[in-house]
Amino acid sequence: MCAAYAAVKAGLDVRIVAKGQGATHWHAGTIDVLGYLPREDAPILTAFDAMNRLVQDGGEHPYAILGVDAVRAALDDFIVLSDEIRLPYRGSGEEGRNLRLPSPVGAARPLFLAPEAQLPGRLDSGQPMLVVGFEGFVGFYPKLMADNLCAQGHAARAAFLPLSLITTRRDFNNVWLAEIIEDDANLNRLAEALALLVRPGERIGLPAFLGFRHHEKVMDRLRQATGAPIFEIPILPPSVPGIRFHDRLARYLTHLGVRIEIGMEVIGFHAEGDQIRWVETATSARPLKHRARHFLLATGGILGGGIDSTAAGRVWETIFDLPLTNPQQRTHWFRPHFWDPAGQPVFQGGVRVDQSLQPVDASGNRIYANLWAAGGILAGTDPIQERSLEGIAVSTGMAAARKIMSKE
Amino acid sequence: MHTTSLLSVGNTLDECIKCNICTSYCPVSEVTDKFHGPKYSGPQAERFRELGQVRSPDHSVDYCSGCRVCNEVCPTGVRIAEINARARAQIAADRGISLRNRLLGRNEMIGKLGSYVPALANLAMHNPISRILAEKVVGIARGAPLPRWHAETLNGWLARTGDRRLKSAQKVVYFHGCAIQYYEPFVAQAAIAVLEHNGYEVIVPPQNCCGLPMLSNGEFDAGERYHRGNVARLAGFARAGYAIVSSSPSCSLTLKEEAPELLDKHDEATLILKNATWDIFEWLRELADEGKLRTDFQPLTVDGRPMTLPYHAPCQYRAHRVGKPSLDVLRLIPGLDLRESHARCCGIAGTYGYKTEKFEIALEVGQDLFEYILAQGDVPYVACDTETCRWQIEVGTGVPNRHPIEFLAAAYGLYDLDKRRLKNEP
Repeated sequence: MCAAYAAVKAGLDVRIVAKGQGATHWHAGTIDVLGYLPREDAPILTAFDAMNRLVQDGGEHPYAILGVDAVRAALDDFIVLSDEIRLPYRGSGEEGRNLRLPSPVGAARPLFLAPEAQLPGRLDSGQPMLVVGFEGFVGFYPKLMADNLCAQGHAARAAFLPLSLITTRRDFNNVWLAEIIEDDANLNRLAEALALLVRPGERIGLPAFLGFRHHEKVMDRLRQATGAPIFEIPILPPSVPGIRFHDRLARYLTHLGVRIEIGMEVIGFHAEGDQIRWVETATSARPLKHRARHFLLATGGILGGGIDSTAAGRVWETIFDLPLTNPQQRTHWFRPHFWDPAGQPVFQGGVRVDQSLQPVDASGNRIYANLWAAGGILAGTDPIQERSLEGIAVSTGMAAARKIMSKE
Repeated sequence: MHTTSLLSVGNTLDECIKCNICTSYCPVSEVTDKFHGPKYSGPQAERFRELGQVRSPDHSVDYCSGCRVCNEVCPTGVRIAEINARARAQIAADRGISLRNRLLGRNEMIGKLGSYVPALANLAMHNPISRILAEKVVGIARGAPLPRWHAETLNGWLARTGDRRLKSAQKVVYFHGCAIQYYEPFVAQAAIAVLEHNGYEVIVPPQNCCGLPMLSNGEFDAGERYHRGNVARLAGFARAGYAIVSSSPSCSLTLKEEAPELLDKHDEATLILKNATWDIFEWLRELADEGKLRTDFQPLTVDGRPMTLPYHAPCQYRAHRVGKPSLDVLRLIPGLDLRESHARCCGIAGTYGYKTEKFEIALEVGQDLFEYILAQGDVPYVACDTETCRWQIEVGTGVPNRHPIEFLAAAYGLYDLDKRRLKNEP
């Protein structure tokens, strides 16, 4: 979607074809650029310094291919994009430095950019935290979080409110709760209850369902009623911060003229020589052709569906059957230890690309002249272990769009 | 290169990763506790269902409207709506099918009966007393949008105007569906006028109900009889290389995928019919892509200004997975200010919103759409492709509905949008 943004802004005609909704719906809604490196236990404090080391290593990591300046430029563009969709993202305020925000169990998450609603949770601030959960809401345990934060030397305490403050429904889902909370009566009840709980000088953390389309209204009302900074704590999926971001970006892209087709599974393609002419998606009858001058593969890794495997050990790229760097023998997929600091080889593999982000074979030859790749499908990284999923997606997506434009 | 998805309905449940994205988007479970959401009632409950078992573990699946938002957003391709449709059939087999659901499944028979004496049928169906009776005795909500019989059926019009129909070497087969035959033959007239304007002779062979209303109500045996009837009547045209187009996305969906998949029919005749069937706008878009669609459009205006037209893509397009072909084609009309609703569902979902216990849910599901349409200002019409959706939108907003093909016919100068009849018709 970031590639679509960059491309449509540059005047290209863009269509996004996707099998279903993707990683924004699972992840925390933050932009994690580089939190850890393989074989190193300590979290990364300055993402750009660590990225420089990757560049110097000269490996096939996407950041090494792009270089630090290109990643920085893409992240700057992302901040502009976040302002344009009126969901501003910001970083630590110090050049290249990671933020540290609390996870729902009270661990520190190293990440680079966060939506404004999460920023007041910064762990480098000494302000005491009031962590509020809801009795009967199984997705979040404030006491667990507060206890773990205290054990690490942070000032935090937990409190419970009854879920009946906002809903009497027995079935609930994070997104519905986010919408239910936008109702003025529910919002006022919650605001009043929080005002009674909070002590002077505290900031208040709540599970991340503080409004969907009217998120700002919810945040303003809670801040105003309590006089305290309010922050969202990302919880189990579905991720309201991620869906909120996706929803606003998708509407904005549609407004800019991007066609977004969800629910279309690519099942084939047609190439003449080194030119891909069209991809085909499954319909209720015959396949539907999507013709384009340039194709960007952004199907994600094993979890995203861009890579599939058989129990026998074969691993393949699901659309163009591009060569992968993943081990092709099941016994080589994993190291003996689950938490091996070097990571698991099967998750580190992917599509190898050249300096232009175009897929290449083992000897470095481009496979198709009009194919690019970006995001989780790329080789040389395990984005989940590194906490680099969004950073790679944003930077390679924006960069791939630029490289495509240079061919126009 | 393979051409069809290898995953069958049953197998896809193993692809579920429990991410709950489907539940986040489900428009029904968002407004009622009676449906526990696609993940619980679909892939999760499916683990406890067995073919032929006496009691289904989860009757809330009856509250699934079948809109398929879940299928669309699922990142791993689980066919949730189809899993639910089969579960409903299991419940129907287990508990039997109510008179109400049998009636709702038989719109062809009802349409036919009423068409003998349309004025009397309208009087009988559309007076407050019979609507109350229908609600209390049968369970059909009194506020639900029942159609009116047209004075002349489509077949009547075809017989009357047969000598004026275009003869051509290029031929296309038209599947009208029950609602068009008995209630809205003018939609077919607009469709036939558009096809003839583009040089195609339109064949309207004998056909019966596609069977979808029965399939949605779990009456699989009767639905299969209908489907077999259509295969017998239409597969020959498909074999001869004719496209079979329908202006009803629900009928075309049934011929293409619903019936073969739900009934597990994969014989040669079913498949050849499946692959020859098109939604009319899907087919017209293909024509446009090949540069063969005539573009001699006149602007559509209201009091001399370009028309603003809110359009809602029906859920059936989501199941067709062909994008929004009506939008693509209507965009070719110069100056038409098309406003696409991104609402998930109008709520009616075929026969769902007609049922007393689901009527309120259906209206609540449709709220986002109704609000969107009403926010577009003083618009003369709202466009949507599927019949019951159009009727529901009219009930929810008070804005008169039209099928997109009526606008295309009007832009060709062939059709009077206001009177809903062809121009130059005696």
